[in-house]
Amino acid sequence: MLDQPAAQLPVSQRTNPERSFTEEVRALRLGDGEIFRGEGILAVTKAILQSGVAYVGGYQGAPVSHLVDVLVESQDLLDELGVHLETCTNESSAAALLGASINYPMRGCVTWKSIVGTNVAADALSNLASPGVIGGALIVVGEDYGEGASVIQERTQAYALKSSVWLMDPRPSLPTIVRCTEKAFELSEATNTPVMMELRIRACHVTGEFVARDNVPPAISRNHRLAEPAAHNYDRISHPPSTYAHEKIKVEVRQPAAERFIVEHGLNEHLSGERSDLGIIVQGGITNVLVRGLDRLEVEGKIPTLVLNVTHPLAPDQIADFCKGKRAVLIVEEGAPDYIEQAIHVILRKRDIDTKVYGKDVLSMAGEYTAEVVTEGLLKFFAQSANDIDLSGPRERFEAARAGRAEAQRLLGGPLPLRPPGFCVGCPERPVFSAIKLLEREVGKVHISSDIGCHSFATLAPFNLGNSILGFGMSLAAAGAVAPVMQKRTISVMGDGGFWHNGLLSGVASSMFNRGDRVLVIMQNGYTSATGAQFIPNTSGNRRDGETTSDIAATLKAMGVGWLRTIRTYNVGTMLKTLREAMSTDDKGLKVIVADGECQLARQRRIRPQVAAQLKRGERVVRTRYGVDDEVCTGDHSCIRLSGCPSLVVKPSPDPLRSDPVASVNNGCVGCGLCGEVADAAVLCPSFYKADIVQNATWWDRLKWRVRSKVIGAMAC
Amino acid sequence: MKPVTILIGALGGDGGGVLCDWIVSAAQSRGLAVQATQIPGVAQRTGATTYYVEVMPAGAATSSVLALNPAMGEVDVALATELLEAGRMIFNGFVTPDRTTLIASTHRVLAIGERMAMGDGSFDVGKLLRAVKERSREQILFDMDQAAEESGGVINAVLLGALAGSGKLPIPDSAFEAAIRHAGKSVDTNLAAFAFGRGHARGELEQAVREHRKRQTAVQGVEDLIERARRTYPATSLDVVEEGIRRLTAYQDRSYAALYLDRLDTIQALGAADLLREVARHLAVRMSFEDVIRVAQAKTSAERMARVRAEVRAKEQEPLEITEHFKPGIEEIAAVLPPALAQRLLAWGERSGSLGKTYFSMHVRTTTILGFARLRLVAGLRWWRPRTSRYVEERSEIERWLGQIRDAAPLSLDFAREIAESARLIKGYGDTHRRGLDNYRRIADEVIAPALAGRMTPRAAADAVASARVAALADPEGQSLSKTLAAIAAATPPMRQAAE
Repeated sequence: MLDQPAAQLPVSQRTNPERSFTEEVRALRLGDGEIFRGEGILAVTKAILQSGVAYVGGYQGAPVSHLVDVLVESQDLLDELGVHLETCTNESSAAALLGASINYPMRGCVTWKSIVGTNVAADALSNLASPGVIGGALIVVGEDYGEGASVIQERTQAYALKSSVWLMDPRPSLPTIVRCTEKAFELSEATNTPVMMELRIRACHVTGEFVARDNVPPAISRNHRLAEPAAHNYDRISHPPSTYAHEKIKVEVRQPAAERFIVEHGLNEHLSGERSDLGIIVQGGITNVLVRGLDRLEVEGKIPTLVLNVTHPLAPDQIADFCKGKRAVLIVEEGAPDYIEQAIHVILRKRDIDTKVYGKDVLSMAGEYTAEVVTEGLLKFFAQSANDIDLSGPRERFEAARAGRAEAQRLLGGPLPLRPPGFCVGCPERPVFSAIKLLEREVGKVHISSDIGCHSFATLAPFNLGNSILGFGMSLAAAGAVAPVMQKRTISVMGDGGFWHNGLLSGVASSMFNRGDRVLVIMQNGYTSATGAQFIPNTSGNRRDGETTSDIAATLKAMGVGWLRTIRTYNVGTMLKTLREAMSTDDKGLKVIVADGECQLARQRRIRPQVAAQLKRGERVVRTRYGVDDEVCTGDHSCIRLSGCPSLVVKPSPDPLRSDPVASVNNGCVGCGLCGEVADAAVLCPSFYKADIVQNATWWDRLKWRVRSKVIGAMAC
Repeated sequence: MKPVTILIGALGGDGGGVLCDWIVSAAQSRGLAVQATQIPGVAQRTGATTYYVEVMPAGAATSSVLALNPAMGEVDVALATELLEAGRMIFNGFVTPDRTTLIASTHRVLAIGERMAMGDGSFDVGKLLRAVKERSREQILFDMDQAAEESGGVINAVLLGALAGSGKLPIPDSAFEAAIRHAGKSVDTNLAAFAFGRGHARGELEQAVREHRKRQTAVQGVEDLIERARRTYPATSLDVVEEGIRRLTAYQDRSYAALYLDRLDTIQALGAADLLREVARHLAVRMSFEDVIRVAQAKTSAERMARVRAEVRAKEQEPLEITEHFKPGIEEIAAVLPPALAQRLLAWGERSGSLGKTYFSMHVRTTTILGFARLRLVAGLRWWRPRTSRYVEERSEIERWLGQIRDAAPLSLDFAREIAESARLIKGYGDTHRRGLDNYRRIADEVIAPALAGRMTPRAAADAVASARVAALADPEGQSLSKTLAAIAAATPPMRQAAE
């Protein structure tokens, strides 16, 4: 085995001090009249503090991780205000957190990535929505939809509809987002209903400014505790017969109250325009695309537009009044199904308003509403509803742009090479997949059940490993019915994030319970790395104390897992041997390999400043990196196919007689040693070398070096 | 009033987010309405991503509704930290000749699909540059990766400098520099990189293009051989032949280089200059086949240490430890034994099942005297090479290959050239070498031999060999090669029984 790079911390001591939000934390302290500048999601975080929340919770996930991440580092501020922060282990525990507002007049806010997070939270969400709340309850969901999204393309709207939870979709401008956040709590309290607020990716990251207000310390809080629990009230328990009453109250009391509130507080915006015969109804979140589209068609400011910052419930009278007397109205509603369009049809039909409704017939049913999609939809809408508007100019420009794109694509000759996300330089998860590839060379293809997390990148080039992804922490459960029908054992891959989120019970417990003969590889890198290196139960550095709460191996032992190995991931040879054993052992139970290796991104963040300091102090530091002898490499690139490390690149061959480019290690190399390990385990070639550069060398280092160089120089060919 | 629209294409890790922050804070410091957004997703894990910024000119209402998505034909300035990403913005129709100023780095960071190819899989840079020139209004192009390196900073600061230098935003340089200072992270290097970028954008700085120089083998006492080559061969192939002579002398000795020329003479006799050049190139490579002796020679050559030091950026006074990774197996050992012994060893390996299983993992530190001496010893074995089984095997392979080229030439020079070119498949070590050699042999047996036996028209044969060679480089599992060979076989009439 090779000697490994700088010894790494045991998982229990992995912390990530470099990730800091000092700037953001300062922004959260702004007071009356001061100007807040920053991203949308941070504005929401400030707004909930201005609204006097008593507790905040959530589960990380793009694009809303920031909300909890920043608060985790604002402990002082939270202590001053008495706000409790719960970094939940999954979305259902976050949703359950809102249960506090069922019995107590406390405002609370939780956040997660939707649609997936809302799926996980669904059970608690239903049980929360049924009895309803007396303290304002806000759920900020990151609507991970369209370009840049990483999850299934479904709408959160569905949950709002079926659970009678109100859904806000604010226009992506900071003042609007902040106002909606603050109003959401009032709406929630006025209607005893939890409110969801969806923010799309671009809205979460949109920059802007608004005039801040002082943060409001909650009346009931960690700093002002209650002497007595709430009196027992069976109506507040989601259990029959209460649930029958709840269902009626939702539609007979809460929804009408919400519809009134929306109108009275002007939550939806009305953009006026001279064309009284036409109108557009748009989701708040899509407004900017629409407005720019109208501008493109030179009709901006001419078409009356109703901006729905609240997309459930709709205020029927408001919709009806807007449509009345108009020939045609266009509904701009992103994603399928067309819930809003259908609802508006019903509202108008019931009131015998014969305004023609356009929507998904001129706009695409599925997919993101980009500038191109919306422009095309508007052109169709006006062509069919208002042929008196001359759009020849804009239409020509639009067609010309498309023709130009076609020309560009002709010039480039077909699709460009894709650049999918992949493992970082020195990622500890990469070696595991190198080992699995080598295993498949021996035993043939294996059914691999993949999971959510960085390791899902193994489903992409160069590994192309993985048969299915069934959700976060689901990889072991997803192999349940595959394993019994396979001659070879199945391998499920799961991250430690996924393990604590869901895999422990949905996967391990179920597999043990059913005597599943499967192999599980748990990537123990110490963080939920794909969402920004948040801490998890097996990491220390939990913001309050430095103590690890739970250890994965110990947990598995306690659950009765018999075949358990913990392997340092970079040892490809050992990993391969262990996988081989797991696949062939007579043990018929669950076989778990804990692949241990700290997230390299986090590790680098931690050690870079440390090393820099050491160098400054003039201390001896050995820098390790790898290299390829371009005279020995013949340019087959097997090493790249087995690793795909971003720092393992190709360069033109220096050999005047060879044409194929040769492999080369660039300066991004962090010396993890994988390329050497792979060359060794796969018996590739002798091109790789490890270089240890001694910085701030001692006199002894120098002397040794001088003597050796002399002698070696004399011996050289 | 219309906003200035800016689209940024970057790779995760290029600092596109920070670049956005700098632009935004610079605009805000001038009291301009500005809005930026991004779709980072998981791009920090090396994927491609984009950022979109809109800046209103001075005097515009700060309440104006700005867009969050770029639109085709409505981008004023496109920034790309890498050439393919510039191509991507063009491909998507955002960069247009009537409006867009394209500010892009000319360096390439190959995508995984390009890197993992078995040969050269990189996208045609010529196409990219042509699209850049034809599909944008103005271009500011230079190697920003190199500029970043020279300035000691990071590429996003260079790009910011280039943006400032372009003068496309109503924002003075001082505001951008203030933004960098305000951010407060590695201010000095970022300011230096900014200045570099601005200098290049304004044409005040020249950039020496990074050239990838080919390395000639250094060897003395071959003047007479080179003289002989110059007398016999056309000038068009001399550079290759001369390098062949030098390489083979260094690899083995003068007489081996002479053998090289003897073999070439038989090709020269065919009287086709370009065929000669191709064969000369491949023959030199084939004759300097990779065995442990050659690897030891390469690792102990006089120039290597300097090369490694430069590659790993070791400073003047910094001692360096090099650890080599070797893992010879039974085959590698057999390769340096005489044929008879080698056969016995391999036979034993076959029986004991240790062939392709047993390897000796060695990690030799060539910066220690003993470690270097060990390799130097192996390198010294080259006098013994002609007696090794590998040498004998390679000799017959080479003779067969040359023979086929000679037989093919009268039929069709294209056919002959394709045969010569197919030698390219044989490269590497261990499994890689075995796979390459097997593929080559399959083509030789299943395509070239039948073709020479007259069961294909020479033209068809040339195409068949070419397509088979491409297929062999398509996937390591050899699936496409099998498909292609099957297709070729189906297209050729069966061998007459009388043949044997």
